[in-house]
Amino acid sequence: MRQTKIVLLVAVMLAPGSGTVWADPAAGAKVFQVKRCQDCHYTDGPAKEKTIADQLAKKGPELWYAGSKFQKAWLGKWLQDPKPIRALKYNSLTAKNAGDHPKLAGPDAAAVTDFLMSLVSKDVKAGVVKPKMNPKGRLVFTKSMPCSGCHQFPGQKFTGGLNGPSLRDAGERLNPDWIFAYLKDAKTFKPVRQMPVFAGLLNEKDMQAVAEFVSTFK
Amino acid sequence: MPRTLNSAVLLVAAGLLVGTPAHAADGGQLYKFYCAQCHGLQGKGDGPNVVKDFPVDPRNFTKADEMNKLSDADIRNVILDGGPVANKSPMMPPWSKTLAKDEVDALVKQLRALCKCKGKS
Repeated sequence: MRQTKIVLLVAVMLAPGSGTVWADPAAGAKVFQVKRCQDCHYTDGPAKEKTIADQLAKKGPELWYAGSKFQKAWLGKWLQDPKPIRALKYNSLTAKNAGDHPKLAGPDAAAVTDFLMSLVSKDVKAGVVKPKMNPKGRLVFTKSMPCSGCHQFPGQKFTGGLNGPSLRDAGERLNPDWIFAYLKDAKTFKPVRQMPVFAGLLNEKDMQAVAEFVSTFK
Repeated sequence: MPRTLNSAVLLVAAGLLVGTPAHAADGGQLYKFYCAQCHGLQGKGDGPNVVKDFPVDPRNFTKADEMNKLSDADIRNVILDGGPVANKSPMMPPWSKTLAKDEVDALVKQLRALCKCKGKS
């Protein structure tokens, strides 16, 4: 009888439209290992890189704070149909991104998404930044500290430098609170990176304004 | 105290006094990592960020006549505070919160190596 109740409970939780979130990060972690994602991405924080050589030795972005950085819906879709985010190959200034990131089938992508979304950073405060066409953020982004020098973005037309990750659809890909946290304290997430530290040059209000502006990119 | 041990102690003490960093900043590596994205791997101002719509021409460090107009202090100031400190474009960002002093010094030397010039004193 008790066994029947448990089976019924599980059936209800799995039933489509039940509204129950049935995330299983452990299953996703297993898929992550089997698919050898760890060959290019590390998932155990904090950040390990200390030198430029450490950064250049990496084959792909670190994912130990993926759950704070990405939006779940975007991540689930991207893993099934990955499109280049950076125009150039990882850590290269000359080679094009071949667009050959492995694809995951739907159930595997869902499981890995659950795993990656479980990897969160205590340094990202939730609910601070809301997407907003912030004029000050736009001014900083396009004029005073021109982020477009390194990042492609959808302005009047889609343009920008090729070395940084593209900010096309940043509002669907990135967690607005993570953008703000990254601007405030980039070293915590990426100790060695080609983007300047802006903390101390921009105040927090301006960095939040930039995060709000970037979060509107579609 | 044996003579070899004496020498070793003196050597360590001398090193501490001079304050030599454990790893000297590598100007070539720093340049490739931070600067080449706009100024190009050979320093010709043609890095991958310089797309059709890039609003300015990043400085070509191989032009000795132009680089000779700048002192090392001028170069250092622009690295630290960005283009606007020299009435140049903000497309050159400030690196003062990113790079350590010895790294900036190494970059100045690297730019002098690229232009094969000494600059004004």
